[in-house]
Amino acid sequence: MEEAIVVDGLRKTYRTKKRRGLLGGETVVVEALRGVSFSVRRGEVVGLLGPNGAGKTTTIKIIATLLLPDDGDAFVMGHSVVREPWRVRENIGLMLTVEKGFYGKLTGRENLEYFAALYGLPRGVAEKRVAELLSLLELDKLGAADRLFEEYSLGMKARLGLARALLRDPPVLLLDEPTLGLDPPSARRIRELVKSLAHREGKAILYTTHNMFEAEIVCDRILLINKGRIVAEGSPEKLKEMIPYTRTIVVQARIPEKPVPEKLGVLGDASISPLGGGVYEIRVRAKRPREVLGELIHAVVGLGGDILDIRMEEPTLEDVFIYFSRGEGDGER
Amino acid sequence: MSFLDLVRAEMRMVYGDMMRRKAMLAMFIAYPYVLTLFFLLIGYALGSPRVFAARVGVRPEIFFIVGGFITMTILGVGDDILWRPMFDEWMGTLPYIIASPVSRIQHYLAIPLPRLVLVLISGSTTVVPVLAYYYGVPGLLDALTILGLTALAAVFYAAVALVITGLLFGMGGEHWRLINVVRPFLIILVGAYYPRYLLPLSARILSYMVPSSHPVEVAQRLLVGGVEAGYALMLLGVATALFLLYMPAGLRSIVFWEKKKVAEGVKT
Repeated sequence: MEEAIVVDGLRKTYRTKKRRGLLGGETVVVEALRGVSFSVRRGEVVGLLGPNGAGKTTTIKIIATLLLPDDGDAFVMGHSVVREPWRVRENIGLMLTVEKGFYGKLTGRENLEYFAALYGLPRGVAEKRVAELLSLLELDKLGAADRLFEEYSLGMKARLGLARALLRDPPVLLLDEPTLGLDPPSARRIRELVKSLAHREGKAILYTTHNMFEAEIVCDRILLINKGRIVAEGSPEKLKEMIPYTRTIVVQARIPEKPVPEKLGVLGDASISPLGGGVYEIRVRAKRPREVLGELIHAVVGLGGDILDIRMEEPTLEDVFIYFSRGEGDGER
Repeated sequence: MSFLDLVRAEMRMVYGDMMRRKAMLAMFIAYPYVLTLFFLLIGYALGSPRVFAARVGVRPEIFFIVGGFITMTILGVGDDILWRPMFDEWMGTLPYIIASPVSRIQHYLAIPLPRLVLVLISGSTTVVPVLAYYYGVPGLLDALTILGLTALAAVFYAAVALVITGLLFGMGGEHWRLINVVRPFLIILVGAYYPRYLLPLSARILSYMVPSSHPVEVAQRLLVGGVEAGYALMLLGVATALFLLYMPAGLRSIVFWEKKKVAEGVKT
């Protein structure tokens, strides 16, 4: 598959002023990106995941030509964001914050027609395309097409935002947290559309989100970014295999006195929480679950406890996210 | 990309905004009358309308209605440019505009045009009825000429506004606040409320550097009893030359702003 976005060694440093009192201050240097490289192929949804301040929005801004990198370059359909921003702009659809970005006193249709003109669509073509998109995003069904933008709900705003990104039918879509704050039906509709746009229409989509469930179901591939570096990359399944534990053992037991991990003989990543009535839930993340489970049962019985329930949980993408966000996976890639 | 489509889009944006803000629409029509009332109240309290007419050459109510119309037109067109980067940043539309393939120069040339068309509408509710009422058919012809001269002054002012917008927003930080300092000076130097020929010499010299002040002087001279064609043409020639000087600087200034914005990062 053709590589639609190629990011090559992006570096970006911000210099901000830290205030001290009324007049004082010092310059603080923040390394937002420290050599980020990746690519996105056509027909693929790639998720960019990371904690706040990891560098997700900076990456999207650079690819969208809204920010210049200090070093490195990014290419959209072969065009450099540094040397040919005009060419890049012809090939991208952009969706940033959901709640803003349109003129409040214009209707959804008028807003789209305004941006269609800005994106160079001739009047007749624009009107037709806007009608198509209002129908695709079901804004006409919701009676929102000819309603003022300032009267829109968040879900309607998100749909209109996606409609604008699709105005020129670009090969590349850059979507920055497109479902943030949306109700479940609107979020689901956006997710379905994003998947369909990539898989049926062959668009390359770079998608940032904090929602792990969403990332798992929408993204074909995930890039985990932390402190300005890509710390892990792969399909959700592949990422789960990257963390040192493969299963979480969950044991519920009635134990006479509150157990502590040391007494259970379980070392490493364990947590114990009381459920009431002398019942405790013990969660242990383990790479060799069978061996650890044997030790755990032995320890619980040794403390005079009764085992009520045992189950094994697969690691989730959230586990992966937390593992790499803590910096535990630094140096994995 | 068609420039006409861009102008049409800007028109829809400006008119949509204006027609749906009833208070703004009412203010647009009432502004010259409100200002005239304000000046007349002060004027009548402090002095005599006869002295004003003797000094300036025209009745105060006519002078201020025309001055109000000229000022509102020039300010409206200029403000559309001066505040647009701020407006788009506030609305959150700036990143989408910067990330669009439209030429920033074309876009900023299209921005003042909708307001310019409104000159005809606002003129027909102020200058035209007032001059026609006082002077009959000759007054009506003068009013139409003043309308044309005001439109020209607004176009010339747009070039100055482009220079200021690009520079102040391009400098980043809070420099845009200087617009509030520059704007009143420009309004005085344009000479709509205070005839240029009555300004002190230093201010008059500065006024000559503002291209809009020349068509405004022609309009005022027309109002106070006529202007020689040769002198009017000379003033309009100077204004056009200044406009041609400012315009490339204005366009470069807008490009400078865009580059600075992208270097710093467009806020989302």
